[in-house]
Amino acid sequence: MKKIFYLLPALLLTACSKESTLDIAGMFSPQGPTVGTRFEQSKAYNDSVGEIHLDMGQDDYSIYVCTDSHITRKTHKNLDYFMAQYNAAAQPKLALHLGDVIDAQENIPCADSILHSGGIAVNCQPAAGQPALFITAGNHDIYFYQWDIWRSHFKTSSYWFDTNNGGKKLDLFVCVDSSDGEVGTKQTAWLKELLAKKSKEGYRHIIVFTHTHLWKLDASQGITSNMALETTYELTSLLGQYGVEGVWSGHQHARQLVNFKGVEYRVLNATKDKEKGQSYMIAEMGETIRYTYFDYPKE
Amino acid sequence: MLKKQLFLFLLTCPLTLFAATHQPGFGERRYSVTGMAEYSFNQTWGHHANFDVQALMPFNQHFEMEAKLQFSTANVHTGAVLLRPKFELPVGEMFVETDVLYKAVARNRMSDMTAALGVGYRMDYVSVTLGLFSRVFINWDRSIHTDETYVVEPFNLLYRLEVFCRPQNNPWNLSFMFSNVDDYQMERMWQPLFMVGAWYDATDHWRINLGVQCKPTGMFHLDASFYGATARAGFTYRF
Repeated sequence: MKKIFYLLPALLLTACSKESTLDIAGMFSPQGPTVGTRFEQSKAYNDSVGEIHLDMGQDDYSIYVCTDSHITRKTHKNLDYFMAQYNAAAQPKLALHLGDVIDAQENIPCADSILHSGGIAVNCQPAAGQPALFITAGNHDIYFYQWDIWRSHFKTSSYWFDTNNGGKKLDLFVCVDSSDGEVGTKQTAWLKELLAKKSKEGYRHIIVFTHTHLWKLDASQGITSNMALETTYELTSLLGQYGVEGVWSGHQHARQLVNFKGVEYRVLNATKDKEKGQSYMIAEMGETIRYTYFDYPKE
Repeated sequence: MLKKQLFLFLLTCPLTLFAATHQPGFGERRYSVTGMAEYSFNQTWGHHANFDVQALMPFNQHFEMEAKLQFSTANVHTGAVLLRPKFELPVGEMFVETDVLYKAVARNRMSDMTAALGVGYRMDYVSVTLGLFSRVFINWDRSIHTDETYVVEPFNLLYRLEVFCRPQNNPWNLSFMFSNVDDYQMERMWQPLFMVGAWYDATDHWRINLGVQCKPTGMFHLDASFYGATARAGFTYRF
């Protein structure tokens, strides 16, 4: 019984686990820069490279979306499958990964090579005809002080880009860094300013994507926390106020759909290998958005 | 299995640890009014101040009621009503808490309403409560008939463990609390609050209250970081 007293906190309160070790430090102190610093670093990078505009060549196109692949160097079958499907799909297309690309430390280079497979441009302006993928950081990506490594590969976790058809504006996509379950004062102010400006520019759809889900409807992911209540109030109000149509997120590994203040909050299943209910989503962008979910092949 | 063990741990540990230190009596529970002023900061609302008014109405030995109001410069205002039947036991006091909390988040034109049912046990040096609560978010700007008006978070765990330095009938005390609820918020189960409180009975009628609270985020399967803190001070008048 005495052992249980010591073991339980170690098991239950661990913020994230290394492949073969437990580390509860992240329960009490940040494992790297907090969201304010991460946002400043992302913004500095965005400012240095300029805006990203994707010319899709037509009004309708597909977005392949996955999340929580939690790959290790040994197991990344589902992410490989997702990338193969994306690479085989006809243009115009783009892909999103909503965070937690890796499970534990030392796997980011492996994730980088998988996401770049087929000459994909990741988190940057693609060349003409080059497929693009955009990614945001998840809690597993930044844990164990990995933010700097993640950033050296994927550059930014707070940014926006838009799509157009020969200069005609189509859709706006905003990526929000919520990898430690918080959005922060600076990023919230940036998001507000961006949406206030962009919502007047006549976009067809405005989509926000992030890692951590805003609602806690069930305990499908067990002891997984999400954002503070104040953040849920503020963000849902902000997103509703500026005509955001959809918020796509992951983190809880269970599909969910919530409508609130005119915004659809869509949480996706995980892409992690050997997990129950793995799937990815394809959003067919047109005058309306058509969503389809695809299961990964069973082992 | 692990959750069950944690439940048993939370339930039994304080009982076994503190049962032997019991000194009878929790002090007089009298009709009282409390006024508090709070300075608060969080990553979403920034710096703000809160003003609290509370009334305690112990109708008899077995039943008491509390009413609480909080006004905030963040334009978020909260009201709560708490009914507490209680039962004296040989060692301590068992109580049931029925708590309804309504938060008017006027700055975001929405409200957050929670209803909780908990069971607690109080001894001289420790008080522990476990329960469940449900939450509904209500949008003020949509027709009541659309599904975009409500979001329901049906089941949340409520937990509160408070440890006191002195018996609770002492004229001064210092307490440490770990909980996901306080007088004016019911956070999601994996969003704990850490509180330190103190009181001093200056006279038979007047009590001075002090407290600080810290709210981290991401403690469970995210990455912990500081989110907010509150410092409060006020007086209680006991009739």
